[in-house]
Amino acid sequence: MNALDGHLHLRAVRAPDGSTALSAQSFRAPFHLSKPNWDPDAEVLHVQVVNPTAGILEGDRLESSIAAETGAALLVTTPSASRLFRMTEGGHATGRQHFEVARDATLEVFPEPIVPHRGSTYFQETTIDAAEGSTLLFIDQLMPGRLAHGESWAWDRLVLGLTVRREGELILRERLDQSGASLRSLAEFAGTGPGSCFANVIFLPPAEEASPAWRNGILTLHRDGVWVGVSRLRTIGWSIRIVSPDPIRLRDTLADLRSKLRRSYPRLGCGLRRP
Amino acid sequence: MSSAPATSTDTGWILGLLQASDSLYPTGSYAHSLGLEGMVDAGAVRDRATLRTFLLNSVLPSLRNVDLPLAAHAWKALGARDWDAVGEVCALASALRAPRELRSAAEAIGRQRAELLANVHEAELAREFLRHAAEASWPHCTAVSAALEARVHGAPLAAVLAAVCYAAVAGVIAAATKLLRLGQNAAQGLLTEMVALCPAMVGPACELPLDEIGWFNPWLDAASARHETANARLFIS
Repeated sequence: MNALDGHLHLRAVRAPDGSTALSAQSFRAPFHLSKPNWDPDAEVLHVQVVNPTAGILEGDRLESSIAAETGAALLVTTPSASRLFRMTEGGHATGRQHFEVARDATLEVFPEPIVPHRGSTYFQETTIDAAEGSTLLFIDQLMPGRLAHGESWAWDRLVLGLTVRREGELILRERLDQSGASLRSLAEFAGTGPGSCFANVIFLPPAEEASPAWRNGILTLHRDGVWVGVSRLRTIGWSIRIVSPDPIRLRDTLADLRSKLRRSYPRLGCGLRRP
Repeated sequence: MSSAPATSTDTGWILGLLQASDSLYPTGSYAHSLGLEGMVDAGAVRDRATLRTFLLNSVLPSLRNVDLPLAAHAWKALGARDWDAVGEVCALASALRAPRELRSAAEAIGRQRAELLANVHEAELAREFLRHAAEASWPHCTAVSAALEARVHGAPLAAVLAAVCYAAVAGVIAAATKLLRLGQNAAQGLLTEMVALCPAMVGPACELPLDEIGWFNPWLDAASARHETANARLFIS
């Protein structure tokens, strides 16, 4: 099978009528873009990035860059999980994604989870550049594997890098470079079980909040076996870590999290389902 | 065959590292559990066996993938007086710790150690570092301060990385003796076992590029974040 060299470039701008429109879009398989949908209640443009192939295969190289310009409000989702299929020894796939959010703009990135299959190797590097006065909500999810097939923590190597800058200053750097076996041992130790799945949430508000009301609300989501921690990043913003014993509770926790943030930040309330 | 002695007789740097790791040295590290108390609160660390697993699965990998390579990069940059590179390591060290408590602990201890070098040891390199750090608002961190101590005392890289390992492992075990039912002999047994694993981590840590530094443990991060708002706690972190 031929490997894919896909790209996706999107630029969202504030239109004269106050709505958000895509001023530039370019994509190549396996990326495809569904028709954008304007949510008049949240005042957010919702785009779904679709991968019409089965998933990510050996040799695939994916590159994306998505920008929300001044005053724009954009939600980016995917309709299905990113499956990483088994690769031959030494084989791998790579992904590079860059998100940029300008002053007075809102960008929410909420893709479905990564699901690494047995024997997969994937390198992904994500960079986020946020301007002062911008709002960003980035939600990354990782499943342990194909739980319905009884398969978990069976991938070979997963490298997920994340760099977050605000006004050019580095405020967060993360790097997961671990085998499935390594994360399995951590999950067993913590007692969250073989179905443990994660969400890594980065929230950058437009201005510093000393003691935001939403924080206590999100901390109450730490229940029923779900671990939730909220901590302030250096200079500005928040890191929210969620570990759930299963995907259902993770999905419900994320829905509650968005609901609680929406009360303070209405533009983070765009519906995930298309009308 | 070389006629050089098998071991150096220059032991000044050993004394410097011993002083820096001694409990008499006022770094404030005794007030931190570096995430352990959060994991105890979460029920993951309960006794000697689970503490051993925590050390093996969490503390040592974090040292291998974060603290040791950071210290190695800082040691090289300080040796070359490459202040831009030193600043880059400081910023990266802070950005790599998402939980505020772990970041603040590293900054507080790191700052104190750098100031002790400048004020007690009267080390010009430490004063120069503190001037650059103040001017550019670099965050402090323990890894860079350990490298600074090594440069001031003339210690080789492998020795300072071993000292970083010892201080981190001993610090967690010392905190564990206050949080768990753990006797002194059991604590020393764990320390002996963990320290024996450290030399093998030094070589790879020296080779790790800056952009490959990092370690992922969402349980520890979540527990540390929750520790920030815990109603009762013994340690600052």
